[in-house]
Amino acid sequence: MVVSESNQVVAPPIQRGGFFSNLATGLKSLLKGMGITFHYFSRPSTVVTQQYPENRATLKMFDRYRMRLSLPHDENGFHKCTACTICEQACPNSSIRIVSRKGAVTNKTELDRFIWRMDSCTFCNACVVACPFSCLKMSGDFECSVYDKSLLVFNLTRYAGPTSTVLMKVTDPQERAKMWEPRDVYSGPVPLRGTAVPGGGRTLGAPEPVKASAPVAAPTPAPATAPAASATALAVEEEGGKK
Amino acid sequence: MSSWEVKTIAQRAAEAMPESVLAGAGYVLLAVGFAAAFMALMGMALIYAERKVAAHFQCRLGPMRVGPHGIFQTVADTIKLLFKEDIVPSQSDKLLHLFAPYLSMMATLLALLVLPMSPVVQIADMNIGVLYVTAVTGFGVLGVLLAGWSSNNKWSLLGAMRAGAQIISYEVSATMALLVVVMFSGSMQLSKIVESQAEGWWIWRAPVIGLVSFVIFLIASLAEISRTPFDLPEGESELTAGFHTEYSGLRFAMFFLAEFINMFIVAGMAATLFLGGWMPFHIGGFDTFNSVMDLLPPGAWFSLKSGLVVFLIMWFRWTFPRLRVDQLMKLEWKILLPIGFVNLFAAAASVVFGWYFFPIR
Repeated sequence: MVVSESNQVVAPPIQRGGFFSNLATGLKSLLKGMGITFHYFSRPSTVVTQQYPENRATLKMFDRYRMRLSLPHDENGFHKCTACTICEQACPNSSIRIVSRKGAVTNKTELDRFIWRMDSCTFCNACVVACPFSCLKMSGDFECSVYDKSLLVFNLTRYAGPTSTVLMKVTDPQERAKMWEPRDVYSGPVPLRGTAVPGGGRTLGAPEPVKASAPVAAPTPAPATAPAASATALAVEEEGGKK
Repeated sequence: MSSWEVKTIAQRAAEAMPESVLAGAGYVLLAVGFAAAFMALMGMALIYAERKVAAHFQCRLGPMRVGPHGIFQTVADTIKLLFKEDIVPSQSDKLLHLFAPYLSMMATLLALLVLPMSPVVQIADMNIGVLYVTAVTGFGVLGVLLAGWSSNNKWSLLGAMRAGAQIISYEVSATMALLVVVMFSGSMQLSKIVESQAEGWWIWRAPVIGLVSFVIFLIASLAEISRTPFDLPEGESELTAGFHTEYSGLRFAMFFLAEFINMFIVAGMAATLFLGGWMPFHIGGFDTFNSVMDLLPPGAWFSLKSGLVVFLIMWFRWTFPRLRVDQLMKLEWKILLPIGFVNLFAAAASVVFGWYFFPIR
């Protein structure tokens, strides 16, 4: 754009000639483009397509891929969640529900159930960003199809109890075991409770069964439906029914 | 150097006819069957190749499911197209609407008849071969115009008008480039043109002139068959599908097939005129080298060359952006045509004074 002295925009001067130089630059840029496309054509390694059902065993999802929310548990089977409910408040469509309890030993608020509704989640990542302890993660597990919508309501924590920091301060395993009790994916305020799924087998899209990675420090595993928890669970269930 | 004996199917039919009518009719049937089968199979193969090549240019894999590496994908697509409902718009000019795809297909078929694929695989060899090809490919635009007009749809009509302007404009440049080869080889007969390249191909034997006319011919032919970057008649982002917007089922398949066979014909003509057709790569005087080159049969040479040009055309398609209508006209009338004229004069001078390798007279 050319601006004249009177501050008005005027057309740039028409340049005549340059036939051969135009031709040369045109051909050069066309050849350059062809070089770039041939670079990709001649290198099969640049193909990004995933042959999904075939490469299911080796498929590795990407770091930024957002699918099922997960609450990572450390090697002892404990997480870092303090039940502060910041993620619950950050969630734009109320897909997260934190159920907390008073710890029997510590007498402090601790996580009982981390309920996440995949059916309403938009995978916006706000909960992961909001978490002050960085204990949430969007995992790459995308095979989440189920035959019943109610199976998309998960409990993300595998135990009810304090954080790993608190638990690991207690050195005696017997004492530590008194501080937590196991929870599974579908225990609590879920109508089907993860029992019978049409088609059988592993619950489609559900996380691995709790048994596989139960806390190692459990000498006597308590039953999944502990009496202490059922009252809370029922309360949540009623609340959900009102909505 | 071995000499090739050209014997077309039409010649065989003419020879057999006086002795037995049945044998003559058999050759005619063979020619018809060959043309039909060739069009169907080559169409499918080219569509598959196009999809695969396009996919790999775009970091994709293309069809992978139907058969190993998706080789039966186009077969499945063809069967689907055959069974689809043929919808004719109620306000259209029905007769023309039904007739247009056949016209488009006929142009392709007629051009295919004279293409020399090998000394023995050629249906007819007429003494005005080049002129004939230029003439019958003009039918294609008639089919496109009829299709656009009869559909009674603004997109169709716009696409057809663009096609008309484009094809008629670029025919001039394409013919100009063809004339260079006609001048050099001194014949319009395609088999004679191929045989004139026994010492070397015209693309390098006539220094610079051959290459320039090859490039002009390629660009102009791409515009004539409406391939990207000259796909304005179809221009899906502007005109939905251009002249074949209102076509479906088998009639759409005919346009589609004609388009892809046209691509093969352009590649075959470019190979015949500039790359020696079925003639192996010869350099005049290098007899040992030439006899090594003769080990590959002529049919294989033709397939190799036309395959290379087909790949080049696909490569263009997935690299270059589409031209605007005014740019299209500017390219033809202000750039290609002047260069073509100068090239033609240079070719005439070089024929007269013998400024090219291995002069033939």
